[in-house]
Amino acid sequence: MNAKSNLYRKEKIYGFLFILPPLLGLLIFTLYPMIYSIYGSFTDWDGLGQMNLIGLSNFTDLLTDELFHKALFNTLFMMLGIPIGITLALLLALGLNRGVPGTTAFRVIYYVPVISSLAAVSIMWNWAYNGDYGLVNQFLDLFGISGPNWMANKFTVKPALIIMAVWKGLGYTMLLYLAALQSVSRSYYEAAELDGANGFQSFRHITWPMVRPVTFFIIVTNIIGGSQIFTEMNIMTPTGGPEYASASVVFYIWQKAFGNFQMGYASAMAVFLGVFIFVVTLIQFRMNEKQSFDVD
Amino acid sequence: MLKKKGWFTLLSLVLMVSVILAGCGGNNNASSGSNSGGEATANAGKNDSKETKNLTFMFRGGTDEQKAYEGVVKQFEADHPNVKVKIVVTAADQYATKLKASITGNSVPDVFYFESGDLKAYVNSGVLLDLTSYVEGNTNIDLNNIWKYGVDLYRYDGTMAGQGNLYGMPKDVGPFALGYNKTMFEAAGIPLPDKDKPYTWDEFIKVAQQLTIDKDNDGKLDQFGAGFNVQWALPSFVWSNGADWLDATKTKVTIDDPKFVEALQFFVDMQLKYGITPSTEQAQTLDTYQRWMKGEMAFFPVGPWDMSTYETLPFDYDLMPYPAGSTGVSATWTGSLGIGASAKTKHPDEAVELINYLTASKEGMEALVKAKVQIPNLIDMANEWAADTTTKPANKEEFLQVVNEYGRVLPGHYTYNAEWYNLFYTDIQPVLDGKVTPEEYVKSEQPKMQKLLDKAVEQEAKSKK
Repeated sequence: MNAKSNLYRKEKIYGFLFILPPLLGLLIFTLYPMIYSIYGSFTDWDGLGQMNLIGLSNFTDLLTDELFHKALFNTLFMMLGIPIGITLALLLALGLNRGVPGTTAFRVIYYVPVISSLAAVSIMWNWAYNGDYGLVNQFLDLFGISGPNWMANKFTVKPALIIMAVWKGLGYTMLLYLAALQSVSRSYYEAAELDGANGFQSFRHITWPMVRPVTFFIIVTNIIGGSQIFTEMNIMTPTGGPEYASASVVFYIWQKAFGNFQMGYASAMAVFLGVFIFVVTLIQFRMNEKQSFDVD
Repeated sequence: MLKKKGWFTLLSLVLMVSVILAGCGGNNNASSGSNSGGEATANAGKNDSKETKNLTFMFRGGTDEQKAYEGVVKQFEADHPNVKVKIVVTAADQYATKLKASITGNSVPDVFYFESGDLKAYVNSGVLLDLTSYVEGNTNIDLNNIWKYGVDLYRYDGTMAGQGNLYGMPKDVGPFALGYNKTMFEAAGIPLPDKDKPYTWDEFIKVAQQLTIDKDNDGKLDQFGAGFNVQWALPSFVWSNGADWLDATKTKVTIDDPKFVEALQFFVDMQLKYGITPSTEQAQTLDTYQRWMKGEMAFFPVGPWDMSTYETLPFDYDLMPYPAGSTGVSATWTGSLGIGASAKTKHPDEAVELINYLTASKEGMEALVKAKVQIPNLIDMANEWAADTTTKPANKEEFLQVVNEYGRVLPGHYTYNAEWYNLFYTDIQPVLDGKVTPEEYVKSEQPKMQKLLDKAVEQEAKSKK
């Protein structure tokens, strides 16, 4: 009895010791900055000196800040890439799942962008998008189309960034789908075939519902990631693009915090963004619950 | 058995931690001990003290520049055996973020680069060490032999930048001179620009038009007169026309001045009316820079940091004054980066020593100038350097004239932050495209910029408390 409780106690200590490093990490590097930033959002802190509480005025300023609205719009607009990416990735995964020759090679090709550094990828695409000698316009030239200077035009800069983001994320999404597809039991399809279902019908009634959890995961993570998009524009349009057309919320936060000594205001935007992501994710989880009930 | 092992592990962990802590503590004790012991000898001369003093030096720069600065720091260590310098270097675009993060995190490097525009904020919040007493009266430093323009950038008296105590030394001054493709002029049989008398705007347009040619008759221009990036070149035209972004009190945005409008109109006309620059669509810096390097552009701004790259250009280039607007006098932007010390450094003497070595010593300067990344900070050395016309560009004298006579600092330097100034360029594209007239633009933009400037002024007042 006594020995057992000793053992129990010891295991408890070991257990705590093992979770201590990540727990400390969470407290120091996540929770503490988060609380600090929430506090900062109610102050006029410049990032250097004193913090004075100023109530909600940072948040009310957000309502009339044109550049913030632009950045928010841009961020949401660039999420158009998410459905495009999902569709393309699913199509690719379906293709690769059928065992086309060279599947492994294709998987590698599509996965290379995923593991490449985003900074390097941005620099490469910046060259590709160059109006004069960029690869993209040289390609369009073959069809007699003279392309725009992608990054310098406010109408093309966002689509250009979306194309790049889709390309970069494709391999990851595709691989998730591929794994999901491979876990779908063949017997469903065989049963459907016996019932006389055509290819599209079996996709709609078997494949799509079966990979739903993966789709849900991808949408949630992509929206969270998309809300925090920053590196691409920071490298490709370091001033926020023509007429601020490619600035994202995080880009604007960064500019305010580190360029203009307005850490308090930047914190307010960060808090706004955090709440936004939280609410959107919550809605998605709710919707997912309902739908999975329907499917079952 | 298990129990014993468990306690043993815990014990050894505790031991390990205490050893590490004791190690740190011991070091501290040792250094503070020798400090109190060495106080008497400190007056006799700091070189006598045997303890090693560690400094961190954070800076940024391209590869050539990094190598040059690392070399100079090594040399400094050799000359000062009791000082060890730890170098922290970042890419240029990450530097400001990293520096501000380390300030916020209270781990400011002992010696670091900073933008002159951030001077007020850093001084008001006690980040920068006041160098005045270390520099003035120091027999090793002759402030009169360093560009006044550069030194004054790092002075601040609590209200106005440019006067008062010294909080940094210029790493260098970066006169943004105007270059021209000499080979192209000769090929076209056009007389070379006078190095002492600037073109008028009309003359400039005329010459540039002659040099804007479709060489292979394919209907596409393949040689241009000029290619200016609005952000770096517009100030030249505005200033030489007698206008500016700010009034003398630095609290009012003055872009609605007719002289300002005239200059902006001229800038836009270069492309839309006279067609001497690549179209807006092609006018990203990289493009014009590439065209200049390929020898397809007659006029292009040249900074001293370009010299090592331009040395290998397949054509001859030289410097000239900027075309002058209604004032008849050239103007251009002159950059600078300061080197300052942390107000909390443990070794202020050594930190200042390093700053001086990098900015004001003959040894340091010679090494940096040899690397062709900057012009000399020391005036006598610069004169000697400029007199040598055998290296490109021959008219290096122009760089010195920019610094001495017609170079200016960008308006954002005078204010607590440059947000109001940056907005001007954020919104300007429609003007360059000819969709909005300069007149309309300044009218609609002035209030927006003024609002941001008011905020910056307010912020500055708060930071002084």
